[in-house]
Amino acid sequence: MESALAQPAAARETGCGFFSRTPESIFTPEDFRGDDALMIEAANDFSRKEVLPVAERLDHQEDDLMPSLIRKAGELGFCGIDSPEAYGGLGLGKNLAARILEFLSLNASFSVTVGVTSGISQVGLSWFGTDEQKAKYLPRLTSGEWMGAYALSEPNSGSDALSASTRADKRGDKYILNGTKMWISNAKWAEFFLVMAKVDGERFSAFIVERDFPGVEIAREEHKMGLKGSSTARVLLENCEVPVENLLYEEGKGHQVALNALNLGRFKLSSMSIGPLRSSIELAARYSLERKQFGEPISNFGLIRKKLALMATMIWASESMIYRTGAMIDGAFAEWGGPVEGNKKAAEEYSVECSMCKVFSTEAESLGIDEALQCYGGYGFTEEFPIARNYRDARVSRIYEGTNEINRVFIGSRLARKISEGKASGESANDSFVAELAGRALLSVPKDQVGLGALSDLLMFQYAEQSARLRARQGGLHKALYGRFVDWVNPRAAEAYQAIVSEAVSLPAPSGVGVDEIAEAVLAKRLP
Amino acid sequence: MRLRRALMKILVPIKRVVDPYAKVRSLPDGSGMDTTGLKFEINPFDEIAVEEAVRLKEKDPSIEIVAVSIGGAECEEQLRKGLAMGADRAILVETNDPLDSTVVAAELAALANELKPDMILMGKQATDDDNNQAGQMLAAKLNWPQATFAAKVERGDGIVRVTRETDTGDETLELPLPCLVTTDLRLNEPRYIALPGIIKARSKPLEKRPRMTSAAPKTRIVRMEAPAARQAGRKVGSVDELYVALKDRGAL
Repeated sequence: MESALAQPAAARETGCGFFSRTPESIFTPEDFRGDDALMIEAANDFSRKEVLPVAERLDHQEDDLMPSLIRKAGELGFCGIDSPEAYGGLGLGKNLAARILEFLSLNASFSVTVGVTSGISQVGLSWFGTDEQKAKYLPRLTSGEWMGAYALSEPNSGSDALSASTRADKRGDKYILNGTKMWISNAKWAEFFLVMAKVDGERFSAFIVERDFPGVEIAREEHKMGLKGSSTARVLLENCEVPVENLLYEEGKGHQVALNALNLGRFKLSSMSIGPLRSSIELAARYSLERKQFGEPISNFGLIRKKLALMATMIWASESMIYRTGAMIDGAFAEWGGPVEGNKKAAEEYSVECSMCKVFSTEAESLGIDEALQCYGGYGFTEEFPIARNYRDARVSRIYEGTNEINRVFIGSRLARKISEGKASGESANDSFVAELAGRALLSVPKDQVGLGALSDLLMFQYAEQSARLRARQGGLHKALYGRFVDWVNPRAAEAYQAIVSEAVSLPAPSGVGVDEIAEAVLAKRLP
Repeated sequence: MRLRRALMKILVPIKRVVDPYAKVRSLPDGSGMDTTGLKFEINPFDEIAVEEAVRLKEKDPSIEIVAVSIGGAECEEQLRKGLAMGADRAILVETNDPLDSTVVAAELAALANELKPDMILMGKQATDDDNNQAGQMLAAKLNWPQATFAAKVERGDGIVRVTRETDTGDETLELPLPCLVTTDLRLNEPRYIALPGIIKARSKPLEKRPRMTSAAPKTRIVRMEAPAARQAGRKVGSVDELYVALKDRGAL
């Protein structure tokens, strides 16, 4: 059986192309068939049998529990899915890797740990590393023998990442690094750190730092609200000695390494956010079937069913965007990838789509898990049930890998820039209510953040609605899900439009799709 | 380890079944199950059989494992999984004919006569129809010794030793080859399939062929319907209350 292939270059959409043209068809999650489906199933199996049963113990950071899970995951191939085969990876596409990651992400603490070591700590190396660097480090990461970490943020530079103050000074055959890196996932266990620092305090650069290099110290664990099973700590660099051959790419070009890795990181985080929502809807459905009030299971009640339908709809809409985007990314890498310049081009092409997926799915996660908790009533507010953990864990998704605010500033302004540079068409596709509003709003791009944020929302809704519409062509439950989704998205698009253009908008008639068909499917485990 | 000259061949029949944890419902006309949107799996007992075969092979790499399934083209998915777990090759007897245990046993017997396996290792039953008879029928057709509900399988010299958990204690049987063994739940816990295993399985042969016999089913499904809804139970406060309640219902 053939693996789902990347779309041929001719059929592939260009970055931001969604705005002006609705494609004939898109890649949908249903297109993962054969071996792809088997791999996704393997991830699902691993999550349910190895990770979910120890979720509580992971949260207590029991000794060696998480590292042993990562080693097991590595043995099964989960730590190097989309890394090059020559260096121990499986060489599979980014899209399939993301779908596999979604199912490895049913527990969020495990998700971030495996996500960082298999993703953002490796991609910079894969794209920008020399053969020697890749040969030395990638096999240890892809096998799960080592864990990796990515160190960009600092106490005083978060969203404004390039203002980092960690510096690197060349002394003979070494760079001497000094500074503090903040919020470093996997810090407690990682042997490999991708560290950003400025050479002579000016030229932003990327370095490969091993845990055992002189001058590396890991501070105590942060006391976090959620993701308690994951490790997050500061990395203190005090006269840290890094051999010159561990400079990744070139002096002064570290932002390309850091930001391109982040583009892909945002894409992957989108699927990592859907994983916990997936486990939450299952929990909510199971609880609703068991919990009886007024003599019947609460799953019979309309307002509970509405929540289940909403969660399923949000998962479905998020998936529709994410895996459409992933297939385009794979196409770009198939066409341009390999040489460093090509890798950069491929990683940048869909940066707007990646940001839209990140914002949309992390907010879908928050909304959905909040509703899942509500199904539990008072019990949801206790730590006796797993839903409270999911709720706490989900909160950070909207914060890391670029806050949703910084992504909202990026989406609208980058699309406008692409249009002004002639890289994208400014003519709206105009083929749905949301698309029409987006077209009208883009006639004058807001200058202020509030307006720009609203424009980004509108564009994101257009991408979501268009992806959902194309996926709904498969009929059946997809049609019902699309109906529920339009009823959700249209008023929100109108609200965003009104925040930009101060004029009244009248909504189209609702789809007429009720909650029951979807809620029933959720309760019978036919969805999501 | 002593080298065995004779290559051992294990045939593992695999049935495609609806996810045993899914909530199924019958079609409105009662002709079968509504399977839209449901996941399909290897029958869990058959998965245990594959796992056991792979474990035997790990001890003796000369063993060849042949996975076989009977049914529509979609059964290829389950065979692929068997290959990813470690089977060497797969055969799909492709048919859309209605199948019952009789037909399955007839087809597998024909296949066994052709392939001449030393052992057939299969699930004691399938989770969809719970018939628990294909294995027994097959052994009878082949006139082979059989051990059902295996909780432990060991290889000896020209024999297989099978431990069965019975109500009166463990029973150990010794079977000469060729023989048939059906697996129980506690025999092993199937491994996770590794992604490299799935990739490796792509190059393993999967042969599709038509049915070899014209055996007709001896049973047919007349109607499928959901079990009647159970009356809600009630909690009783004490043994005395329970006694009274049972007596009231004439149960005592």
